[in-house]
Amino acid sequence: MPLTKYCFKNAVNAFFEMPRENARAILPAHLQPMEIRHGEAVLAITAFDFADSMVGPYAEIFLAVIVPPLVRPGEPMPKSAFYPFMLATSTQAARDHAIERWHLPHHMKNVSVDFEESNKRMSVRVHEAGVPILDFAISPHTWVDADDLYQSFMHTQADRFKVNVHMKGRFTEHEEETGELMLYDHPMCDKLHINDIAVYPFREMWMQNGVQTFEELESI
Amino acid sequence: MVPEPEETPSHAARKTPGGDHPPDRSLDYDYSNFFWGAGDDMFDILEPFEEWFREARPAGYYLFGLPMRTAPATRIDIIETKTNKELKNLINLASYNYLGLSYRPEVIEAVVEATRKYGSGASGSPILSGTIELHDELAAKIASFKKKEQALIFPSGYSANLGVIAGLMRSGDLVVTDQYAHASIVDGIILSKADVRYFRHNSAADLERKLRGFKGKKLVIIEGVYSMDGDLAKLPEIVEVSKHQGARIMIDEAHSTFLFGKNGRGVTEHFGLEDEVDIHFGTFSKTLGGIGGFVAGSRALITYLKGFARSRVFSCALPPGVTAGLIRALEIVEAEPELRTRLWGNVEYMQDLLRKGGVDIGDSQSQVIPIMVRDDDRIFKIAEELIHEGVYLNPIRYPAVGKHRSRFRISITAGHTRQELAEGAEIIRRVLERYGLCR
Repeated sequence: MPLTKYCFKNAVNAFFEMPRENARAILPAHLQPMEIRHGEAVLAITAFDFADSMVGPYAEIFLAVIVPPLVRPGEPMPKSAFYPFMLATSTQAARDHAIERWHLPHHMKNVSVDFEESNKRMSVRVHEAGVPILDFAISPHTWVDADDLYQSFMHTQADRFKVNVHMKGRFTEHEEETGELMLYDHPMCDKLHINDIAVYPFREMWMQNGVQTFEELESI
Repeated sequence: MVPEPEETPSHAARKTPGGDHPPDRSLDYDYSNFFWGAGDDMFDILEPFEEWFREARPAGYYLFGLPMRTAPATRIDIIETKTNKELKNLINLASYNYLGLSYRPEVIEAVVEATRKYGSGASGSPILSGTIELHDELAAKIASFKKKEQALIFPSGYSANLGVIAGLMRSGDLVVTDQYAHASIVDGIILSKADVRYFRHNSAADLERKLRGFKGKKLVIIEGVYSMDGDLAKLPEIVEVSKHQGARIMIDEAHSTFLFGKNGRGVTEHFGLEDEVDIHFGTFSKTLGGIGGFVAGSRALITYLKGFARSRVFSCALPPGVTAGLIRALEIVEAEPELRTRLWGNVEYMQDLLRKGGVDIGDSQSQVIPIMVRDDDRIFKIAEELIHEGVYLNPIRYPAVGKHRSRFRISITAGHTRQELAEGAEIIRRVLERYGLCR
C-alpha cells in the first residue's frame, strides 16, 4: 500500500465548541457534525510544524469539523474523524501538493505559523503578511508514546473520499480548559460564526517529533 | 525528502471484529468512540462496541455497578465481579445516602406499613388511577418544606427534569445552562426542542454573553451543588445576570435540598435567594434515600406542569411504600437538624484529613468531595487497590468528566463515624501515595 509520510516537530491541536448549525452549514450533505453535547459541534484547529516531507519543510494550519468515523467490521477503529474545510500553508509547493493529492481546500496565499513554546505552554500565531488570522494556545499534561489512527473526509464536486491518517509520536492531551483562542476577521475564518465559537478549548492536544502517515485515498 | 514506504505503518489501532488483533489497547478507547458511526447500517457499530467492551471490562469497566450484598450504609459487602469474590465490610464512601435515611428503622417501618396497606405499586398514572393519598401528602409536605405554594412529584429525578423543561420550553425558546449541567437537564432541553447555549462553568460573565441579544423566552438552568466537583453555584451573580437579561431561573438542587441552608431548604436558602428563583427542583434519591423527584414553585406553575409534564403524565406514580418512606424521611429531616450538623462536621473532618494527607480534593464546598487523580490510564488500577484495601469508591473517567480530569467522588454522610472516615482517608492517602499522587 503506498503511504505518504510527513515528519513534524510539533502538531498543536485544540477542540472548541461551535454551534451545531454553523458546523452543518460547513459540512457537505453526506457528513454530520459530532456533538459533544446537544447543539454543540466541534471545531478542531491544528497547527503543524513540518520538518520533512515530499515538499520539504513547511508550516500548516488547518480548520476542521469533527465528524463520526466510518466504522466497518474488520477494519481498524479510528480514534476520531475530521472534515477539514480550510487549510493554509507557508509554501506554495505544500499547498499544491495537498490540493492535488488530498483534495484539501486551501486559502490560496502563503501564511506564517509562529510557534512559541514557553513556560509549559505552546502558543501559535497565524498571520498573512502580518495580518492576523488566529491565535491559540494550549498546555501539556503527561507525555506518552502514541500511535493513533484518524480518518479525514474530503470531497470534490464529483467524488467523496476518505483517508486513514496515522499519527505517531510523543503525545499529551487533557481537558483542563487552560488554553485560549482568538479568531480574527480574515477570509480563512469566513465560514465561522466567530462570536459563537468558544474562546477556550475543551480539549488540548500536542504531539512532538512525530510522523503523520497517510494511507491511500479511498472513494466512498 | 521523505521516502514513500510500501509497508503498512506499525500503528497499534485496535481492529474491529474480523481483523488481526494487536496488543490490548482497550483503555485507549471509551464510550465516546462508539456513540457515533458513519455509514448506512446502524448495527455496524454493535460488534465493534461489544468486542471493545469484552476487553475493556476486565481492564477496569467491571468496577462500575459492582453488586452490593448489604444496604448502602457506611459499611458494605460487595461482589467483586472480576474474580466473583465477596469483599466484606468495606467503608462505603460512594452512596448518596447523605443523612443515612435509607436504612433508618422508622423509614423502613413506614415503607413496610404502607406496602401492607396499599400494595407494591400505584398501578396507574398520577393523572388517572395512580394517585393515592400518600402522593398528595408528600407533595403538600414538600411544598411546605420549600415554602412554596405547591409541589409536583415525579417518579425519578431524571423524569422530573425532562418533564419540567420539556413541559415549559418550546421550539424557538432559549435555554442557557452551565456546561456541567446534569444529563437530565440536557435531555430535557433536547426533548423541548428549544435552542440551547452552554455557559462556562459558574461564569456569570459568560452567561450574560450567551443571553445577550436573544429576543424571546429565556430560561437559565443551574445546579445547586455540581455533582462531579462538589462546588456550589455562584447564585448571587447568576441571579443578577439572569434578572438583568429577563430570563427565568430554574435550579436543580438534587445534591443540596434537605442539606444546605439553616432549615435545609437548599442552596437558595443558603444564599437567601429563595424568592429570586422561579423553579425549584429536587430529588428524593440523594438525601432522603428513596427515589423520585419534585418541582416546587407557584400554584400556576404546578397547575400548568400537571397538564404538560409528559414524563409524569405517562409514567406510573411512585410506589406507595417508597412514598410513605419519603414522607417519614422528610419528617426526620425537619425534626432532627442535628443530622445536618453531624454531616457538616464529618465533611469538615474528612476534608481536613485528606488535605493534610496531601490529597487533591479540588474546590469542593459540599459533602461531595472529589479525589482528583487526573490520570485516565491508572484510575482503574487505583480503584481496584482501594476496594481490596477496604474503601468502596467509584472511578470517574472520561467521558463522564473531561480527559485526564479523572477522579473518585466521595459522598460523606451523617452516618459515618469519625473512625470510619479516618480509616478511609488513610487508605486513600496510602494508595494514592503509592502512585505518587499525594502532594
